Amino acid sequence: MRPAPPPFRRKPETLLFTATPQTLAHSPPRAAQSRRHAASTMDDLREQIELLESTANLTTSINDVQHAIDLLTAARAKIAADPQAAPMTLAKLKDPLRKSMDTASKDLKPMYQGLNKYSKALDKKFKDKPLPTAENDALSSHPQLINRAIAMHLLREGEFAVASTFINEANTHPPHPEPTAGTPNPYLDEAWERKLATGTFNSKELQQQFAEMYHVLHELRQRHNLTPAIEWAKAHSDSLEARGSNLEFELTRLQFVSHFTGHSPKDPHLAQDIADGPLQAWTYARTTFAPFQLRYSRELQQLTGALAYSENMTDSPYRRYFYNESAFEEVAISFTREFCSLLGLSADSPLYLAATAGAIALPTLLKLQNIMKEKRTEWTTQNELPVEIPLPPSYHFHSIFVCPVSKEQSTDQNPPMMMTCGHVIAQESLDKLSKGTRFKCPYCPSESNPRDAKKVFL
Amino acid sequence: MAELTTTKLNAEAHLLLDQPLLRLPYELTRHTFKTAQRYLEKDTSTLLSTLQSTTSSATKTASPAATLDSLDGMIAKMQGLKRKLEGLHEEEVVHLRSSRKRVDHLKDLYEVASLVDVKYEEWSRIRLTRLLVDYLLRMGYTESAAQLAASKNVTELVDVDAFVVCQKIERSLRQGRRTDAALSWCAEHKQALKKGGWEELEFDLRLQQYVELVRQGHEAVSDDMGSEGMGMGMGMEDGGIGIGGDSGENTKLAEARAHAKKYLAVSADFDILGKAAGLLAYKPWDEVEPYATLYSPNRWDILANKFLTTFYNLYSLPPRPLLHIALSAGLSALKTPSCHSQYTSSSANASSSTTTVCPICSTELNSLARNVPYAHHTKSIVENDPVVLPNGRVYGRERLRTFNEKVGTEPGYTRDPVGGVNGERYREIDVRKVYIL
Repeated sequence: MRPAPPPFRRKPETLLFTATPQTLAHSPPRAAQSRRHAASTMDDLREQIELLESTANLTTSINDVQHAIDLLTAARAKIAADPQAAPMTLAKLKDPLRKSMDTASKDLKPMYQGLNKYSKALDKKFKDKPLPTAENDALSSHPQLINRAIAMHLLREGEFAVASTFINEANTHPPHPEPTAGTPNPYLDEAWERKLATGTFNSKELQQQFAEMYHVLHELRQRHNLTPAIEWAKAHSDSLEARGSNLEFELTRLQFVSHFTGHSPKDPHLAQDIADGPLQAWTYARTTFAPFQLRYSRELQQLTGALAYSENMTDSPYRRYFYNESAFEEVAISFTREFCSLLGLSADSPLYLAATAGAIALPTLLKLQNIMKEKRTEWTTQNELPVEIPLPPSYHFHSIFVCPVSKEQSTDQNPPMMMTCGHVIAQESLDKLSKGTRFKCPYCPSESNPRDAKKVFL
Repeated sequence: MAELTTTKLNAEAHLLLDQPLLRLPYELTRHTFKTAQRYLEKDTSTLLSTLQSTTSSATKTASPAATLDSLDGMIAKMQGLKRKLEGLHEEEVVHLRSSRKRVDHLKDLYEVASLVDVKYEEWSRIRLTRLLVDYLLRMGYTESAAQLAASKNVTELVDVDAFVVCQKIERSLRQGRRTDAALSWCAEHKQALKKGGWEELEFDLRLQQYVELVRQGHEAVSDDMGSEGMGMGMGMEDGGIGIGGDSGENTKLAEARAHAKKYLAVSADFDILGKAAGLLAYKPWDEVEPYATLYSPNRWDILANKFLTTFYNLYSLPPRPLLHIALSAGLSALKTPSCHSQYTSSSANASSSTTTVCPICSTELNSLARNVPYAHHTKSIVENDPVVLPNGRVYGRERLRTFNEKVGTEPGYTRDPVGGVNGERYREIDVRKVYIL
């Protein structure tokens, strides 16, 4: 599943990374330089490993030991043949044998050196990258919730076998919550959590649903068979329509096109003569297009109108509807989106999005931690990160309202309020500015009564 | 320019989570090397001294059969050594190959310049699998971990085997209440543990052995006294235990003393030594501190945890799963005040096809994110050309238009996407422009 395209574009100026401490920003030329350097240290590591793999390993010493064995076997054969010579043979054996064993031990040296070099290269690579500490770990107190998130992730990825093993293992060995700085007493936590963690998660039901999703997607992508998708869309017609989704119509249209071009389904017993295509399509249109007549009359007219061009479709103005290479992939993506949305889930795995966002955020958070340690300060606002994390626009989902007066983000307690002039400020700013009486908007000349300000929802 | 700032990928800074990935196979290779070295040294010295004694006895007594026997012994010994080295070499090959694969995997990241590149997405999905496997292994869900790694084809990027060893030892402590597996692990990694200053584990294991010996000693004595107190008529069974207990008192407590002399006396921590000595006087059921704490079965959990900490330290693994670290940071970076608001967000919700569900609002993460701080923003982020409906909901004009076109709203009217096709409709002239700075 792809991440859904960002629902809207950000205003260009808001894309700047506006972290307050200057130290958090990288100057581009230095970054480019360190990038080259960094890539070369990776090559360095690669070289050390290759050296260890090719020569600097135990093989030579093993050969040396074999040599010692050969010496011993030869000596034994000699003594067996001539017992009288035993003292002599043994005395003669001493030096070569010692030498052979010394070589075996000496031949370990390249490996020793190779490992040391590799270890130094590793130290260098990770010198300024300490292992993340557990300080920011807010999750150890909620292992049940993590387990549930993982189970759902595995299911939505289609890893049904792994998911069922996992659910079994997790049920046999339930995790123990560990206290963290944020939640020192995990067992005393609110009831909603325990209920959520144990009661409402019905893995079987979810698994069935995702199994259905994968079945439909498989038929769509691999076999270009639209029937299961259309059946699903029909069954959920009402909810889809309420959401303003065109999925059912898009599927039907694609089915019509498939009939027409004769490519429909990659199923041998449904294979047909290409010449029959337009006729098939016409029959299909007559039986299925009626419910869409009201809302999609223009599109339907185009489709049926195209039948007139059935002889030379490729030169007709309708070409783009009929020969769209990615049509099945597009419809598969919008099907996934709608399917997950009806379950109240995001289209891409939240676990993937969050872990990736976390990896992007970590360097900034680590710098912040270091700065705070140096200055011996603490966050003043516990419920808000003290620094802005630069994320790609596709990781922004909600609109954000930052009050232009107080520079605070709006919350349920301090919602955005629109004055009669159409400008929006936060409730607290409004109260402070107006003191309950008529006041002038800070951004335009208009005056208004705070009672007329209207709460808005972004 | 502005675009670049947020989508540029700095691979070097991005590797914060990946140090253990390379460290663990390296430590394993080094351990293989050390073991090979130890075997070689030990067997060489015994070989040479055997040869020495064989030579001298051959000169004196000259029994050819004995000489040949001794030579056969030496040959067998060397063949044994060779086999052991070959076994280690096989391990070595596996560790080195996985090291190489891992370096290559990290190198791949340097080829990606942008966070919005499809290649980055692929890489990041592999990383998620790695993080998940690491989490599963740490939780002891080895079966799932191995299956997931195999299914996603990342077996060489994760350390199932090392964790299986770790888990076996941990369970032998926590559930089996046995020290032998942990102690032999300590012996095997003696040098590395010494170098890192993590010898406390071994001492604590020895102390626990001592505690158990003392406990058995006391129990044996009490059983003995118990059977005496119950009189003669109790039959042979009790007598048997009594006799056993009697000898137990002598041997077990004496054994405990000898054990302490051998393993515990090396410590300079006189406080704990004093407590240990005190155990000889206080019985497990006396419930006198600090001895009760030493006798407590909780000590096994403490030992198991200490073993885990030592294991993680030795292999440069962070104390908490990497997944926790990545997720904690990610939840905060993505979280907004709207994610736990009592009002439906206009910009990200499940109720219309023009919006997607935010990952934090999705069932998987919503409760987990409740306790983390939300992301900091210094500027509002809203859609282009925002308008407000009479009910206070704000939308980008374009999205509102698209939605209404899709649901087929009558001309001159508009519907709220959150309300859906059956929701209230508003007159288009009542839709106002809103100014968000």
